[in-house]
Amino acid sequence: MPLVLPLLLAVVLFCLGVYGVLARRNAVTILMSLELMLNAVNLNLVAFDAWHLDGLATGQTLAVFVITLAAAEIGLGLAIVLLLFRGHGHVDADAARDLVEHEESPT
Amino acid sequence: MTTALFAVAGAVAVAAAVMVVTSRRIVHAALWLVVTLGAVAGCFGALHAEFVALVQILVYVGAIVVLVLFALMLTKAPTNPLPNLTTARSPFAAAVAVVLALLLGSGVVFAFGNQKIQPVPAGSAETIGTSIFKTWVLPFEILSVLLLAALIGAIALSQRKKED
Amino acid sequence: MIATVWRVAGVGFSLLLILIAGLLYGVAPEQTSFLNSSVGDLTIGFAVRTDDLTVLLLAVVGVVATCVQVYSLSYLHERAASYHALVTLFTAAMATVVVADSLFLLLIGWEVMGACSYLLISHYWERRDARSGAVKAFLMTRLGDVGFLFGIFVLGVGAGTFRISELDPAQISPGVLTAGTLLLLVGVVGKSAQVPLQTWLPDAMPGPSPVSALIHAATMVAAGVFLIARLYDVFSASATTMTVLAVIACVTMLFAALCAMAAVEVKRVLAWSTVSQLAIMFSALSLGTQEGRHAALFHLVTHAAFKGLLFLCAGVLLHQVGSAAFVVLRRYTRRGKLRKTLRVTFVTMTIGLAALAGVPGFAGFFSKDTVLEAAWEHAHKDGSAIGWVVLASVGLTAAFTAFYCARLWLWVFFRTPALAGAMGAFEQDDPMADLEDPDTSKLKEAPWLMLGPLVLLAVAAIGLGYVDGLHLNWVIALGSTVLVLFGVLPAYSLWSRGADPRPVVLEREFGMDRAYHGLFVVPVRWLSKLSVLGDRDVIGAYVRAVGRSGTLASQGFRLLQTGNVQTYLTGAVVGVVALAILAGVIAR
Repeated sequence: MPLVLPLLLAVVLFCLGVYGVLARRNAVTILMSLELMLNAVNLNLVAFDAWHLDGLATGQTLAVFVITLAAAEIGLGLAIVLLLFRGHGHVDADAARDLVEHEESPT
Repeated sequence: MTTALFAVAGAVAVAAAVMVVTSRRIVHAALWLVVTLGAVAGCFGALHAEFVALVQILVYVGAIVVLVLFALMLTKAPTNPLPNLTTARSPFAAAVAVVLALLLGSGVVFAFGNQKIQPVPAGSAETIGTSIFKTWVLPFEILSVLLLAALIGAIALSQRKKED
Repeated sequence: MIATVWRVAGVGFSLLLILIAGLLYGVAPEQTSFLNSSVGDLTIGFAVRTDDLTVLLLAVVGVVATCVQVYSLSYLHERAASYHALVTLFTAAMATVVVADSLFLLLIGWEVMGACSYLLISHYWERRDARSGAVKAFLMTRLGDVGFLFGIFVLGVGAGTFRISELDPAQISPGVLTAGTLLLLVGVVGKSAQVPLQTWLPDAMPGPSPVSALIHAATMVAAGVFLIARLYDVFSASATTMTVLAVIACVTMLFAALCAMAAVEVKRVLAWSTVSQLAIMFSALSLGTQEGRHAALFHLVTHAAFKGLLFLCAGVLLHQVGSAAFVVLRRYTRRGKLRKTLRVTFVTMTIGLAALAGVPGFAGFFSKDTVLEAAWEHAHKDGSAIGWVVLASVGLTAAFTAFYCARLWLWVFFRTPALAGAMGAFEQDDPMADLEDPDTSKLKEAPWLMLGPLVLLAVAAIGLGYVDGLHLNWVIALGSTVLVLFGVLPAYSLWSRGADPRPVVLEREFGMDRAYHGLFVVPVRWLSKLSVLGDRDVIGAYVRAVGRSGTLASQGFRLLQTGNVQTYLTGAVVGVVALAILAGVIAR
C-alpha cells in the first residue's frame, strides 16, 4: 500500500477540520471539527508507524495517547461551551465578542 | 486487499467529514461524526493497528460523541435545519483550507510519493501494551496526571457558583 | 513708604552727582581701569576717567536731574516708587556714560538708558499712545544701537584697544576708521533722534513731562552729542564721517524746525525743537575744529537749561490745566486767565522761549552765536564748504526757531486782538471748542516744589550765557538778531490777524511716519502674516496630519479587532500558510 494514501487522507481530514473550525458558528461543531483534526494527526501517526516499523510501536502508542488527550480536551471544551451557554444563552462563537474593546470616544 | 479496504474506509471518512462540517442540522453533524470516526477506525484496522482502532471506537464513538450529544442537548441545540450554521467568512475559510490542503498534499507527495507500507501485522494489544509499559511508562503516567487535571478543570468550570 | 525711600534716594543721588562734579572741578585728568580680562590680543574691561568734559556733563546731568526729581515730588503721585527708581537709574546710566573710559562701560550705560527711556515713556501704560510711543522709541534707538555695537567692535579691534583714552586715530587704518565712526554715528543718530531716525522723539511725548525734560535736556539725546565730543579726535580724523554728520545735522535742523512750526501741542513743538537744537550741536561738531567742539558743548549746556525749563513749564500746564494742546490752552487764554493765574510759569516759560529763540541777552543767543562764529571762521578761514552750509542752515534754523517760539508764546498766553475772544485758528478742527467753556475759577498756580526748579533753571537759562566769557563777534550777533526778528515778525503778524496757516506737508511732518509705515511696518505685517500662515498651514498641517493619520490608522486597525475568536484564528492560519509558502519558496 502506498504511504501517500493514508497521508493524503489525513491531509483532507485535517483541512476539513480547519474549515470547520474557521467557518462553523456553533461552538459544539467547532469542537467536533477539532476532533476531525486530531483524527487526521492520529492517522498520520499510525501510517508512519506502519511504514517505519521501529519495533517499539511508537506511532501507535502516541496515537493512543492523542486519543486520551482528545478525551480530556473535549471534556474541558464542552465545560467551556456550557459556561458560555450559561452566560450568554447561546453557543454562537460568532456572536460571543466579549474580547472586543468597548467603543470609547476617540480623543 | 488492505489497500482496497483502506480506500473504501477513507472515502467513507472523507464523505462523512464533509457532512460533519457542512450539515445544516447540528445533531446530524454529530451523528456524521460517528460515521467519520468509525471509518477512521477502519483505516487504522487496514493499517494493522487493531488496538488503536478499538480504542478509537471505544473512546471516540463510545465516549466523546456521547459527550458531544449531551452538550448539544444541554445547550438546547435545535434539531431543525438552521440556515446560518456557518459564518459569513466561510468562503474565505474554505479557500484557506483548500490552499492549506494543496500545500500539505503537495508536500506529502513530494516527500513520500514512492514509499510503500509493508503489510506487517504489528498493532496487537500485546505489542502496544508492552511498548507503553516498558518504553513509554513515564509519558503514560504524566498523561494520567493530565487526565486528572482535565477532570478537575472540567468540574471547576461547570460548577455553578453560589451567587448565580 | 517705599515711594518715599525712592524719592529721597533719587534726590540724594542727583545731589551727589553735583557734589562729585564740584569735587572733581579743577582736578587733573585721571584714568582708572579695573576688571580687565584679555581675549586674544585684546583687553576687555572697564575703565573710568575724569576730565573737563566729564565734570561738565556730570554737573549738567546732576543739576537737571535734581530739578526733575524735586519737581516730580509734587508732579507725580501714581506709581511714584517705580518712577523715581527709574529716573535715578536713568541718571546713573547717563553718569556711567559720562565717566566711562571703556567703550564697553559706555555701551552698558548707553543701553540701560534705552531701556529706562522705554520704561519711563510708558509710565502711563494704560494709555495707548504712551505704549506705542515707548515701543517706537525702543525699536528705533535699538536699531541705531546695532550700528553702535558693531562700531565699537570695528574701532576696538582696529585700534587694538577698547579704552577711549588710548584710541589713536593715527594708528587706525583710514578704512577701519571711517567704517567704525560711521557705525557709531548710526547709534548716535538713533539716540539723538536725527534724520532718518527722528520720529520716535515727538511720539515719546505721552510720557511724564519731567521725564521729557530729563531725556531732552540731560540724558538720552545729549548722550549722542557727548559721544562725538568724547571721541572727537577719532571722528574728526575721518572726513567722510564728518561730511555725513554735517549733512544729517543740516537736514535735521531744518526739517525739525519746519515740523515744529506746524505742531499744535506745546510738548510736540518742544520735542521738534530739541531735535533741531541737537542738530545744531551736531553741525558744530561736524566742523571738525576745536571751536566747533567748544561751541557744541556750550550749546549743549545752555540747551540743557532752557529745554529742561521749557519741558517743566509744559509739565505745569499739563498738571494745572490738564492738557498741553493749543486748543485747550486757548480756552483759558480767551478769558485771560492763563497768564494771570500761572504768573511764575508764564515768566519762566517766556525766559525759556526767549533763550530757545536766541533773543539777545539770553543763554541761547550766546551759544548759538558761538556755533555761528565757529562755522563762520571755519568757512571763512579754511574755505570749507561744510562751514558755509552749516552757517547757512544754522542761520535759517535760527529764524525758524524764532518763528515757532513766538507762535507758541503768543498763541498760548495772549488773546488774539483780531478775534477778541472769538474762535481762533486752532478751534476750527474742534467742534466742542465753543460749547465746552472750562471752569477757570479752579485754575491755580502750581505748588512751589514745582516752581522752585523752574526759577532755578530760568536763572540758568539767562546766566549760563555769560559764564563762557563775553567775546561777541558783533557782525554775527547783529546778523543773528536780524534773523530772529525775521522769524518773530511773521509770527506776530499772523497771530495778530488770528490766522495760523499750517501747510499739510508740515502738519504731517513730511509724511515720514507714513512712509516708514508703508516701507517697514506694512511689509513686516505681511511677512508676519505670511509666517503665521506658514506656521499654521504648512508646518502645523504636517503636525496635524501626523496626528490624524495616526488616529485614522488606529481606527482602521480597530476594525480588525472584532472580538471574534474565529477571525483571529483565521488570521493566524493564513499567516502560518503564508509562512510555509515563503519557507518553501526560499528553500527552493
